[in-house]
Amino acid sequence: MIAVGLLLALFVFLLLGIPVAISLGLASTLTMLIFGDHSLLSMAQKFFHTMQVYPLLAVPFFILAGTFLTTGGVARRMINFANALVGHYRGGLAMAALLASAFFAAVSGSAPATVVAVGSVMIAGMVTSGYTKPFAAGVICNAGTLGILIPPSLVMVVYGAITESSIGRLFIAGILPGIVLTIAMMATISFIARKQDLPRQDRVDFRTVVRTFREAVWGLLLIVIILGGIYAGVFTPTEAAAVSAVYAFVIAVFVYGDITIKDVPHVLVESSRITVMLMFIIANAFMFAYLLTTMQIPQAASDFIGGMGLPVWGFLLVLNLLLLAAGNFMEPTSVVLILTPIVFPIAMKMGIDPIHLGVLMVVNMQIGLVTPPVGLNLFVTAGVAKMSLEDTIKASAPWLAVLLVVLLLITFVPWISLVIPDLIGA
Amino acid sequence: MTSFSLKSMLERLEETAMALLLAFMTLLTFVQVVLRYVFNSGWVWSLEATTYAFAALVLVGMSYGVRTKSHIAVDLVTRRLPPRMRHVAAIIAVALCLLYCGMMFYGSALFVQRLAALGNDARDIPVAKWVLTFVMPLGFALLSYRFLMAGWHVLTGADDDMEYHEHGEQS
Repeated sequence: MIAVGLLLALFVFLLLGIPVAISLGLASTLTMLIFGDHSLLSMAQKFFHTMQVYPLLAVPFFILAGTFLTTGGVARRMINFANALVGHYRGGLAMAALLASAFFAAVSGSAPATVVAVGSVMIAGMVTSGYTKPFAAGVICNAGTLGILIPPSLVMVVYGAITESSIGRLFIAGILPGIVLTIAMMATISFIARKQDLPRQDRVDFRTVVRTFREAVWGLLLIVIILGGIYAGVFTPTEAAAVSAVYAFVIAVFVYGDITIKDVPHVLVESSRITVMLMFIIANAFMFAYLLTTMQIPQAASDFIGGMGLPVWGFLLVLNLLLLAAGNFMEPTSVVLILTPIVFPIAMKMGIDPIHLGVLMVVNMQIGLVTPPVGLNLFVTAGVAKMSLEDTIKASAPWLAVLLVVLLLITFVPWISLVIPDLIGA
Repeated sequence: MTSFSLKSMLERLEETAMALLLAFMTLLTFVQVVLRYVFNSGWVWSLEATTYAFAALVLVGMSYGVRTKSHIAVDLVTRRLPPRMRHVAAIIAVALCLLYCGMMFYGSALFVQRLAALGNDARDIPVAKWVLTFVMPLGFALLSYRFLMAGWHVLTGADDDMEYHEHGEQS
């Protein structure tokens, strides 16, 4: 009963246009006051302690690193390198956009940021080379979702923090699924390119490949620092994030010189703004999760689902549908924050690996990013491509098929997510 | 009115505080890694200082988020309402946001009061805990102020809704 009331209140608040963070917090505090024996003091305490959850410190640092990389010309050099690698194939520029998105995803933890970084250069580039705008926008919009699958990933940081799973293991688990998705999209582009006779570019000589690689290498090195550092035990994911931020600052200002010291305060304010926006949601969601736990709602849900006698594959299917539905209405972090406390105990009881569950949630969230009504990548792509939202939705829709196939693959073949972490024993 | 009003000073102060806190946290964590590997040492107070700076950043920044309209909201339904209904919905929404602020302000004031009564210092920083958490009621007071302003704009018709947008930069 209480659970229904709580979720209903949350739903009404969201639809009234109240910010997601406040909807979560208000529904929780009101429920607590009416039904709970806990005080507002304990809620406030829970809110404050969210900022003392060590793994969550990675959030501001990764965001800061991402802002330096986006404004600092790192993405542009990655695009040049990707183009030198695959530009000469039929549909090469689209493939280069995809590959550049994958590269950028490997240094940034955010999907919309990946769309901005790659899309603001590549959409115009593709259109001038004879691609249709919807095709270009569709590729960018969907390739951008790699941002939360290929490590680092803000969504994984949040999932790891609430489930107390190893964030390093989650990051490494995202690598192979990210490659699988990139290959699936690459094959699709190639197929369409042949059918529609899309342009190809001149093959560049090997010297150019080496030159563009050497220009892009400062950015690409970051992924080595992050993953290598975490895996080798040199630093924690949180420290890796702080090192990334300082490293990104150094290459943007001193190595590439694309931004000056005078621009740094602006980068700091902008990163703070995004951090606060996310953390405000997360802190309220921690109060929400705390309330759920004290009301023993996850246990009740777990007993209920357990009583239904669903087989594991049935549960996974239902879970996917639930996540996809929720992903349509909210952005990834909120969905993960709200649903994880409920589904995680059930999944553990069914013997699902927590790392596999995390990857599965992330892929579902990727689909949520490109489906209306609330799909962040759609909004950002529409802005970058200067297209209407409706046209962007239409342009992005065909690619959904690729994402769904990969989702099914990742759901029912846990091996894809677990083989690399198991292999290197991270 | 000159641009040097109390209001714009508050705004500048917010931005400066946020930028400094973020820079402080990042550098402190980075220096900690360097100290550990290069000098084989470290500062005990570093982690705790970082987490309190983080809390201050978020709590000061909440109201900044209202001013810059960057909090994410679902405008799926309100966007489609006729202007009159949308106006009413916006008023209710602001009122509920203020209710939230009030409850959180009260809760955090109790929290600080409790810590003051206990009188403990923080674990590694020689400062009383209640001083470090004082930023929380302050943050919610600032947030209330911003929502009162937003409410005033809605009531006087300067804004037809709270106009939150799904800003795309995060996650």
